Amino acid sequence: MEAISETDRRTFGHVRNDILSRMEGASRAYLAAVAALGAIVAWALFAWCYQIVGGFGHTGVRRPVFWGFYIVNFVFWIGISHAGTLISAILRLTGAEWRKPITRAAEAITVFCLMIGGMFPLIHIGRVSYFYWMLPYPNERMLWPNFRSPLFWDLTAILTYLLGSLIYLYLPLIPDLAEIGRQSTGTKRRIYRALSLGWSGSDRQWQALERAMKLMAIVILAIAVSVHSVVAYDFSMSITPTWHNTIFAPYFVVGAIFSGIAALVLVMAALRKTMGLQEYLREVHFVNLGKLLLLMSLIWLYFTFSEHLTIWYGNLPREIHVFNVREHGLYGSLFWTMVVCNFVIPFVLLGISRLRNVTTIAVCGATVLVGMWLERLLIVIPSLSTPALPAAWGSYAPSWVELSITAGTFAAMALLYLLFVKAFPIIAIWEYDERIPAR
Amino acid sequence: MTREYLHAEFRRPEEAIAAAGKLVAAGIPKSALELYSRRPVETDPPILPRKSRMSLVAVLAAITVGTGATALMFWVQSDYPLVTGGMPITSGWATGVVTFETTMAGAVFGIFLALLWESGLIRRRRQAPVPELPDDGVVLEVQVNGRAETGLARDVLIESRAFRVNAVRSEA
Repeated sequence: MEAISETDRRTFGHVRNDILSRMEGASRAYLAAVAALGAIVAWALFAWCYQIVGGFGHTGVRRPVFWGFYIVNFVFWIGISHAGTLISAILRLTGAEWRKPITRAAEAITVFCLMIGGMFPLIHIGRVSYFYWMLPYPNERMLWPNFRSPLFWDLTAILTYLLGSLIYLYLPLIPDLAEIGRQSTGTKRRIYRALSLGWSGSDRQWQALERAMKLMAIVILAIAVSVHSVVAYDFSMSITPTWHNTIFAPYFVVGAIFSGIAALVLVMAALRKTMGLQEYLREVHFVNLGKLLLLMSLIWLYFTFSEHLTIWYGNLPREIHVFNVREHGLYGSLFWTMVVCNFVIPFVLLGISRLRNVTTIAVCGATVLVGMWLERLLIVIPSLSTPALPAAWGSYAPSWVELSITAGTFAAMALLYLLFVKAFPIIAIWEYDERIPAR
Repeated sequence: MTREYLHAEFRRPEEAIAAAGKLVAAGIPKSALELYSRRPVETDPPILPRKSRMSLVAVLAAITVGTGATALMFWVQSDYPLVTGGMPITSGWATGVVTFETTMAGAVFGIFLALLWESGLIRRRRQAPVPELPDDGVVLEVQVNGRAETGLARDVLIESRAFRVNAVRSEA
């Protein structure tokens, strides 16, 4: 246990100044990273514009595979967004004090992932200017959205989650925004003071904030579970082979939490390395998250096994073809890579306590992200390319447009994070207390 | 109307909490006290307990928004009935997800608005001057009426190890 005695404990002012100092200035490496990521995002925007102008035919989406990389990415990013919910809300409700230095990083992941993930349905509909047709607005033709459609459920679920996550990120930021306002001058002071809504640090405000955070944690948990269940319903409400499945909602939620933790450890390792946050993001934080990652890896394996065993044992012709093509056909190598990334590597590196350290946990985070992206791919593509009627079987290969947009979203995530850490403290100053043991 | 306040600075929150207890024992109402700090001062029970209706507001907002959204769905589905293959036009199963999500959205709105209201962030009724907060200390604010109460409160605060007591006035 990394206990810190009262005499060694730094004052609030020291911690504040230390954290705020990391927001100031921008090194050449930082600017180069922003420029490089900005260039990738700009290229992705160009690719999207190219698709809008030229039509959806510029993608690799063809009959019978009508959902391609965009839907894979959509499910993947929405899944990662569960990082903030799990770490912040569950640990807040269970009174896990060690969560305090990592909550802001997690909550920011949630918001950015939702922003990025939420873009994919818009990209996927092709004619993005008509996206407002999904909204229930009064119009003279009396054409309303189909409330029975899981795609409309998606819209409401993601908008609700985005709203909730933004507020859940913003509420604990208010005292820190006020602190930055106090330490700043000129325009910066005015901006941060306005953002802090006139926070003065009174007991009345602290009590209201604590109460609001507890209630928000409960609400956001319910929303988070529902959001990924709804994403699963997009699949399971159809009669596509292997999708029409009652296990999908919890399976997707488990996968989402799994990939969310993986993203969080990876982001934390990057922040710790690049911003020199070793004093705040200590090894025990990584070890605790590593244990959670291992637990989720085992649960993921259990769900994956249950799903595949049921399909194999049922031996329905329409489903067994998908099973075969996924396990040892065209997608076999991807399937077993997924198993290695999601289970074998985490099981070895996280299961053996001697091997458990910041580097190995970050490596596991990276492999799990790769594995979970492959899992999303293996859910979407093989089922669509192997429909019930063998004469309709087809294949899918992404075009440069889809690959560019996919790369752009990863760059966008990194870029948003780089900008965020310069505008807001990545460690919650008011919550941080060095005396809190991390176990 | 002029209001007078004493701002007493303490190095440790425990001293301010003890001082607040003594002030209340000396006859100063809890409503006249306020504690300012850079970190929350957590005591169980809270030294300055405040009534909260945040949960109630959240539930009411959730019910209102969820019911409104469900009514909207019922209305438009009846107004523009889709071909449902013999299934009911309005189905609890099919619209339940949207009802749930909008109910949760209402709860989120309710919590946020209740926070703004209860914390006083969107209310400016009380124009008490905000004290300068020390980095690791806390400030206990006492609203006082008249010279006798000011003297009494000041004595209690100094006796409770306040290392600085400032008198401030504000025009309400």
